[in-house]
Amino acid sequence: MALSGMRGLSVFISDIRNCQNKEQERLRVDKELGNVRTRFKNEKGLSPYEKKKYVWKMLYIYMLGYDVDFGHMEAVSLISAPKYPEKQVGYIVTACLLNENHDFLRLAINTVRNDIIGRNETFQCLALTMVGNIGGRDFAESLAPDVQKLLISSSARPLVRKKAALCLLRLYRKNPDVVNVDGWADRMAQLLDERDLGVLTSSMSLLVALVSNNHEAYWSCLPKCVKTLERLARNQDVPQEYTYYGIPSPWLQVKTMRALQYFPTIEDPNTRRSLFEVLQRILMGTDVVKNVNKNNASHAVLFEALALVMHLDAEKEMMSQCVALLGKFIAVREPNIRYLGLENMTRMLLVTDVQDIIKRHQAQIITSLKDPDISIRRRALDLLYGMCDVTNAKDIVEEILQYLSTAEFAMREELSLKAAILAEKFAPDLSWYVDVILQLIDKAGDFVSDDIWFRVVQFVTNNEDLQPYAAAKAREYLDKPAIHETMVKVSAYLIGEFGHLLGRRPGCSPKELFSIIHEKLPTVSSSTIPILLSTYAKILMHAQPPEPELQNLIWAIFNKYESCIDAEIQQRAVEYLALSRKGAALMDILAEMPKFPERQSSLIKKAEDIEVDTAEQSAIKLRALQQTSNALVVTDQRPANGTPPVTQLSLVKVPSMSSNVDHHVADQGLSQENGTLTTVDPQPPSADLLGDLLGPLAIEGPPSADVQPQQNIVSGVEGVPNAVEATAIVPVGDQTNSVQPIGSIAERFQALCVKDSGVLYEDPYIQIGIKAEWRAHQGRLVLFLGNKNTNPLLSVQAIILPPSHLKLELSLVPETIPPRAQVQCPLEIVNLRPSRDVAVLDFSYKFGNDMVNCKLRLPAVLSKFLQPIPVSAEEFFPQWRSLSGPPLKLQEVVRGVKPMPLLGMANLFNSFRLMVSPGLDPNPNNLVASTTFYSESTRAMLCLARIETDPADRTQLRLTVASGDPTLTFELKEFIKEQLVSIPTASRAPAPAPPAPQPTSPPAAALTDDPGALLAGLL
Amino acid sequence: MIRSVMVMNTQGKPRLAKFYDFQTVEKQQELIRSVFGVLCSRAENVSNFLDAASIFGPDSSLVYKHYATLYFVLVFDSSENELAMLDLIQVFVETLDKCFKNVCELDIVFNYSKIHTILDEMIFGGQVLETSSTELVKAVEEISRLESASNSITLVPKSVSGWRNR
Repeated sequence: MALSGMRGLSVFISDIRNCQNKEQERLRVDKELGNVRTRFKNEKGLSPYEKKKYVWKMLYIYMLGYDVDFGHMEAVSLISAPKYPEKQVGYIVTACLLNENHDFLRLAINTVRNDIIGRNETFQCLALTMVGNIGGRDFAESLAPDVQKLLISSSARPLVRKKAALCLLRLYRKNPDVVNVDGWADRMAQLLDERDLGVLTSSMSLLVALVSNNHEAYWSCLPKCVKTLERLARNQDVPQEYTYYGIPSPWLQVKTMRALQYFPTIEDPNTRRSLFEVLQRILMGTDVVKNVNKNNASHAVLFEALALVMHLDAEKEMMSQCVALLGKFIAVREPNIRYLGLENMTRMLLVTDVQDIIKRHQAQIITSLKDPDISIRRRALDLLYGMCDVTNAKDIVEEILQYLSTAEFAMREELSLKAAILAEKFAPDLSWYVDVILQLIDKAGDFVSDDIWFRVVQFVTNNEDLQPYAAAKAREYLDKPAIHETMVKVSAYLIGEFGHLLGRRPGCSPKELFSIIHEKLPTVSSSTIPILLSTYAKILMHAQPPEPELQNLIWAIFNKYESCIDAEIQQRAVEYLALSRKGAALMDILAEMPKFPERQSSLIKKAEDIEVDTAEQSAIKLRALQQTSNALVVTDQRPANGTPPVTQLSLVKVPSMSSNVDHHVADQGLSQENGTLTTVDPQPPSADLLGDLLGPLAIEGPPSADVQPQQNIVSGVEGVPNAVEATAIVPVGDQTNSVQPIGSIAERFQALCVKDSGVLYEDPYIQIGIKAEWRAHQGRLVLFLGNKNTNPLLSVQAIILPPSHLKLELSLVPETIPPRAQVQCPLEIVNLRPSRDVAVLDFSYKFGNDMVNCKLRLPAVLSKFLQPIPVSAEEFFPQWRSLSGPPLKLQEVVRGVKPMPLLGMANLFNSFRLMVSPGLDPNPNNLVASTTFYSESTRAMLCLARIETDPADRTQLRLTVASGDPTLTFELKEFIKEQLVSIPTASRAPAPAPPAPQPTSPPAAALTDDPGALLAGLL
Repeated sequence: MIRSVMVMNTQGKPRLAKFYDFQTVEKQQELIRSVFGVLCSRAENVSNFLDAASIFGPDSSLVYKHYATLYFVLVFDSSENELAMLDLIQVFVETLDKCFKNVCELDIVFNYSKIHTILDEMIFGGQVLETSSTELVKAVEEISRLESASNSITLVPKSVSGWRNR
């Protein structure tokens, strides 16, 4: 039964099938495209049927991977065809070929709308399907209300309504700001009473989308979800066609349980009890059966039930039951169940109290590491990695190492990385750690990055007890016939530094050490030779009493490399030769390397390099970065040096050029650290900058202000270390304004802190609007100066008082604003460093005899340089743990918090571009948020924050902030604190006194009215 | 949300490709190729899950089912249940089977337009629309009736039968 018999299309497909190779196929496709193109050109003679045929051909060609860059208009025009078949193909093909921003779609909106509101159900379906598949903004704007009407219409058939539900869902997901769902809670509750399971499934999906955005509004739907679940689980009133392999619509069951997971908790005891009864029934009543499809369906429901139980924080007994169930699953024959068992057990790790029960299954999980299916092995590895701690690290890491020898290529890198991380994190003793890393290099040298072996060197250097052991181990590996080059590097380094500690052990005389290392020289690349040369020099130095024979051997080698083409090798050879001829001086110079200084985690350093275009992209990159650099997490726990590149890893301490480089690197590291620390202090250059700015102000400032000279003195004497202090000083005496602002300046400022456009200041004469765009550490702010009157505003002046952390460039402000005119002044902003200080706009103008001056804070606040970034639990926790303690992680108990529900707090955070990740923290009273901060000094830097609230006392909470930069952590913490303690509009509203109508108020009263003074008070 | 539905044969030729987030034609081909690259190396009797993050980015999962000469693939994010997605593939195939009476690869090749219609009745904008194959067949038959006005009959030869046996 061919649905749309199109002979031409079949012939074409046949032809394509008969093509012997890709080239023939291309020729055939090109011919067809040419044909279609010509036919479309003389459109006149084209019947709708032909159009339809050609459009299908185009879609087929498109699927084969050829770009079809014409005919879009024809596809769109078919939408308006009166007959069903043409209309249908128009809709289908448009949905496939065009993206949501395509201009042609706008042309079709009217037709689409007519189809949706029309009486023809089949046309309605077609239109809804296309809108749902594309989901563009234009569609959302013009069609969402119609779709909503259709969904709740009592006359529409289920076939139409279920599509309307999903269409609305798509539009809402893509454009939540456009689709108005206010008051939809009641409608959703009604929709959940639907008897038709098709409509109910779609409605449930819609509910999931709505609830995930705002669960507060949809509490009324919760009991209905539980009812639906009961109805299905007990198989009441479920029609045969919705029973899938004996299971009442598993999809609806799954969706319903998904929706329930978006409610933080279930308070009503009756609802909770009935839900747990259903869940218990699902957990206990599911068996593994022979039929694959039935198995899949029943377990889909079961795994969703497990997730819901985890979410609801069930009693420990039920949790243990779940773990036991999962333990059973990871051992069954059915691979899908094994896979999901492991995956869910990994999720279970986040639940407190069950880790010990999970550990009981360790043996089985280790067995899964040998599963024939790589997907399952990966899950097993993830789980082992997640459950590893000091108690089982030895077992797990050794299993991973063992598996490494047989693992396929695709997994080796991940395995080695994870083994290295676990070994360092949970090493019960350091010698074991050295063993593991050396084994790792031995088994998978190709996958062991340089920083892993650098770290072994750092550990050994900093732990004297470890040195003889490490040297002996290195010596053992050198006996192996063929070893990886990385092993040559690390063992040569260790032998050079600590070989003499092996003393009189057999095979460890200087000469023997030398010859066994020298054996490797012909097999290594030029990056390793410098290390070997250093080792020779050290061996020579340690050979006491001197051995002339060894000396000659080594000198001969140095001689040979004196003319090496590789500069690094040549330089070392020359220098070592010269040094070793100096005799005693050699001892000082080649003495043991000093201990490595402590240093911050390099993971964070790497995170700074992320260039971000969109939040989503950055999330991808961040994840990618994490996967490769988790190893670096550990650096901060133990002393580590600045992992120098191989060529700089010289063993020599002072005089040679190459060793200078080494120290230079260390110095740089130190000075950088100093650099970031000093940023807390005010920077001298900014004072100069300010002086320049204040200069013109003093000369051209409002003449009526007789405090001007005083101000000048103040700034002259004190040097005004930073702009904010300056503004705090200035306005005290500056009280000449007789013009009162309209509305509260403080409120306007606060509002602008959370949005990007609005009014900054307004009085009877002028309105200053702002529109801002922020991109990473840069911003562009446009000031709109609007003269509200029919007389011009004169002597207009705008001067920016920038804090030291912002670079601001204001374009020229005209001296006069003509009547009823608006002037735009763009302002470029660059954020240099993290700081909470605020830029101030000193604005003045003259209207008639009134001289008006106001100082306005510009909303270029810290949060504007934040970019919300979503993190998953897998990403968050390692990061959080890696930033351990001050100064990178700061904690404070904040009191006097304005009490607000947790949701309100989450919204507050989101409004300041700190992205709250709901459900990430297992405790429902806590909030966890993440964001990226941008500035020139820090570049992109991930910031994490956690709020622990006390449900009994909402006025206090514990705030923890972490980031890779100490200043940033501090500033961000203070910033968040400010937002929590004094809620912007609510608490500040009373502060600015209502405009006092007396123009000649006494100075004290004027002080409160003056925006500048107000500002001083606020700062 | 379901991000993509792909049907390809065991040689890697795409038979149906639908992306619910717009992708350029080059990107589509690249994704299809990458998926096939992994699929073709999978043994029988292993799980139906694949590591999709390396191909589709974070927060993506992939399930597939292998029937005779065809792979059916679904790519989706964490808001969907993996096994339910696997069931959905089964529903799709059962529906095709009902519509074509013992469906084979050729049916899918030559009834390209019909496959699209069936898929649109089952998955809508990346969400599950209908899960009952009875309802699906009903909807598709209704559409066929509407179309029959301008329908000319084509006979599609069938070569393989009884292939639905995984």
